[in-house]
Amino acid sequence: MKKIQHLMLGMLLLVAFTSCASPIKNAKTEILKVAGNCEMCKKTIETAANRKGISSAEWNKDSKILTLQYDAEKTTSDEVLKRIAYAGYDNEKFLAPDDAYAKLAECCKYERMKKDVVVKEPVAKVENTTASAQEQAAETNLLEKVYTAYFALKDALVKDNEAAASAKSTDLAKAIKAVDMSKMSAPEHTVWMKVEKDLLMHAGRIGEAKDINSQREHFSLLSKEMYDLVKVFKADQTMYLQHCPMYNDGAGADWLSLENAVKNPYYGSSMLTCGKTTETIK
Amino acid sequence: MKRIVLVIGMIWMQLLAFAQKNVRYDLYIRDTTVNFTGKERHAYSVNGSIPMPELHFTEGDTAEIWIHNELNTETSIHWHGLILPNEQDGVPYLTTAPIKAGKTHLYKFPIVQNGTYWYHSHTGLQEQGGMYGAFIIHKRDEKPMQEYTLILSDWTDMKPEQVHRRLHMANDWSAIKKASVQKGAVQSYGDAILSGRLKTKLGNEWKRMLAMDVSDVYYNTFLSNGKPEIQAPTFRAGDKVRVRIINGSSSTYFWMRWSGGKMDVIASDGSDVVPVAVDRFIIAVSETYDIVVTIPSDSTAFELQATSEDRIRSTSLWLGDGVKQLVSPLQPLKYFEGMQMMNDMIRMNGNLDDMGMNMSLQQMDMNVVMYPEITGALPKKKKSHNHMDMTNSDQYKSNDLSDIVTLNYNMLRSPVKTTLPDVKTTVYQFELTGNMNRYVWSINNKTVSEADKILIRKGENVRIILYNNSMMRHPMHLHGHFFRVVNGAGDYSPLKNVLDIMPMETDTIEFAATESGDWFFHCHILYHMMSGMGRIFTYENSPPNPQLPNPEKALKKLYADDREFHFMFQNDFATNGNDGEMMYMNTRWNLQAEWRLGYDKMMGWETETHLGRYIGKMQWLYPYVGFDYRYRKMEMGETERNLFGQVNTKDQRAALCFGIQYTLPMLIIADFRIDTDGKLRLQFMREDIPLTKRLRLGLMYNSDFEYMGSLKYVLNQSFSLSAHYDSDMGFGGGFTFTY
Repeated sequence: MKKIQHLMLGMLLLVAFTSCASPIKNAKTEILKVAGNCEMCKKTIETAANRKGISSAEWNKDSKILTLQYDAEKTTSDEVLKRIAYAGYDNEKFLAPDDAYAKLAECCKYERMKKDVVVKEPVAKVENTTASAQEQAAETNLLEKVYTAYFALKDALVKDNEAAASAKSTDLAKAIKAVDMSKMSAPEHTVWMKVEKDLLMHAGRIGEAKDINSQREHFSLLSKEMYDLVKVFKADQTMYLQHCPMYNDGAGADWLSLENAVKNPYYGSSMLTCGKTTETIK
Repeated sequence: MKRIVLVIGMIWMQLLAFAQKNVRYDLYIRDTTVNFTGKERHAYSVNGSIPMPELHFTEGDTAEIWIHNELNTETSIHWHGLILPNEQDGVPYLTTAPIKAGKTHLYKFPIVQNGTYWYHSHTGLQEQGGMYGAFIIHKRDEKPMQEYTLILSDWTDMKPEQVHRRLHMANDWSAIKKASVQKGAVQSYGDAILSGRLKTKLGNEWKRMLAMDVSDVYYNTFLSNGKPEIQAPTFRAGDKVRVRIINGSSSTYFWMRWSGGKMDVIASDGSDVVPVAVDRFIIAVSETYDIVVTIPSDSTAFELQATSEDRIRSTSLWLGDGVKQLVSPLQPLKYFEGMQMMNDMIRMNGNLDDMGMNMSLQQMDMNVVMYPEITGALPKKKKSHNHMDMTNSDQYKSNDLSDIVTLNYNMLRSPVKTTLPDVKTTVYQFELTGNMNRYVWSINNKTVSEADKILIRKGENVRIILYNNSMMRHPMHLHGHFFRVVNGAGDYSPLKNVLDIMPMETDTIEFAATESGDWFFHCHILYHMMSGMGRIFTYENSPPNPQLPNPEKALKKLYADDREFHFMFQNDFATNGNDGEMMYMNTRWNLQAEWRLGYDKMMGWETETHLGRYIGKMQWLYPYVGFDYRYRKMEMGETERNLFGQVNTKDQRAALCFGIQYTLPMLIIADFRIDTDGKLRLQFMREDIPLTKRLRLGLMYNSDFEYMGSLKYVLNQSFSLSAHYDSDMGFGGGFTFTY
């Protein structure tokens, strides 16, 4: 018994010793932004960041702030942030590889840091890109009416209002037909050609259907196409891609919204706040 | 310096205005010191930079390139992939006069093609030291498009000559260095036991294979346009960028991956192909690929990553500006899976056996068994080796095994018909042969200097059927011609000038003989080429080459490359004596000396010297003649008796001997000999058994009842700690010096 006690004491001392023995030399502290959701994220992020005697980090899940201490002669904060990104977490310097993010546990699937910001640079600074600047100006409003009609349709479904949904889908179909393709750039045009027919078809079906379940079914397919569009055609406002994991017997479905708060168009009042934001599109 | 650039720039601008004129470049080659890793090293710079400057031309121009050799040694420049008059090709002593120290040489030739090419020194190992650069030829009516040229290369802090010499010594220092970056590269018995693959390792050594690797040389860093990583921040969302990728490395294949989606491959080795979208592709040494990528968004830099095939390190180009979107690193190779695969594929006689799978065109990559991203991570627990169904070839087809689309040669298709004229076709069969242990590389078991030139006739077609019977892949390059890589595209088979051929593959290439003079066909892994892996195609009735007034003498200089002798030396300085060996060897011959020197008369002195020749493709057989000298003070009445009942009582012996060495399974060297006194001796010896990453075991036993066991711990490339027990000299400890 005593032996065990001694052993324990010895081990404790050893632990104390090693943790004292490896303080970080040439320590430098930095405050860095790292995305993440939960306690599990915290563990993964800190494991990726910590290297005995070289770097030690603490991540706060509420503020998304990583307090990093490291040996400035042996490593850099970039190196640490790169490791964190490889572990699946976007941060201020690196975005995680898509496959690393995909491997994260469901609860860790945080809202990814924006990738799609269009930098509005002063025209003077941009050389030889007048053409693309024009494109950007044009594309901003190209689908504005389509987007407006889509969100009106979504709101009707949120309110369980079949008749309104039907009317709004007719507006949507009109807006789609009115889009001026001549102003589109080549990649935009490709995407548009891909989705246009389906959009019209789904909008038409929603208009015809007198039953809200069937409307919602088409709305889920319509939303998929819309998502493809917003990826390419930048909108003026920030949009949120939201996900309802329950819809269609657990297959799940997405929709787009202008607000971060969840208002589920697939279940309406019966389960209004079910779902979560999976992506912010700016 | 600046002025030159300016002048070139101005000429260039002028030429843009009046295309199809002379385009002049001046290249000044100088010795320089670089520091890539914290250590200063010698390198070659051209116009002050590594890589050499990016040269731009438009189809129809005449290139006028002045080479100013400011080195103390001679040099040369070869224009890789270009169709040009033979004497402009730049292979010293074969097509072009070498550029002597301090001299200036003019290359002048019309530009008759377009695409992404490169240029490099073809002298010795200069290419490894920095002499490579991009050679870009624009189409005359090219649509303006954003583009970026990326030339990849490998850098070692070791002198290239030392790299080359050590490769011939079967020294595994390179593997030890790799293992310090990534575990498992040594494939020691310790690693094998820990991962439950002892049987695999034994099987490997039974079939006389040293540790396997996909590349031979340890590189300290890989470079993108001369830097570990580079930024190209000017690109914006939606931009389509043509990236011209050139693998200017000496012996590194790279996996290319892009974090912004799929890449469209639009050209290979300078010639256009029908665009094909892929997730990744491997770029062989000396190949070029043009890809088009779309920048997905702003405020983000997307990574185009080149990872060495051994996955030890990578280098990156970042396209765009802002937060960096990474590609996941490639996970380490599953070496033991690869070893098991080799065990299954290799016959006892050292030949490879493709099990009737008819492998070709990179479609079936045996190495996929080692790729975690395709065949899954290693099982956590030891499991009995799930023996693969060897006849099922689908298990090696990377693209069928996963969602990752990997480019292979069967996916390349020319946009135009490439059929050859309907004339006589001569067919050559080339078996690529090699021997890892002695680093001998050859075609049909003959090096460049051992084989005759291959005579071809202008106006006919040449077809080459290549079979790779060696354990490494080889990027085979043909000078001055494009060949068709015969694939599933039939009449639209792609045109290339480099063919990467994997072990066990059979590929067919063919070209129309339209030139004249001598053209080199060789493996573009620098150290394989220098070891003699190549052939010379020579056109019948070619006019004399004005640059080579004495072609026979010149050819000897070229042959000297693979005839070169390499020296190695090793001595163990131990408490009980000195024990060492020395070798002076080339492709076939080896002059060896071994010694055991005691510190007193009772221990004695003993030396053996052999001169012998390696026989056969695998070089397992080595007959020799030699001379022995031995002095050992015998005590009164002491006699030595051997296994054959022969007795020795003499203190001093000097004798000639004849013997043969043969490498047995498990890499044991059996040595049977008879000397002029009629004495016989049979000895078994195995050195350098890798127990752990750095620990090596040696064992010896012979019919004089002498035996020896030794342990070595490798400290660095020159020194090891050693301990041994020797029946003559007893226990000893010390250190071993290896050169």
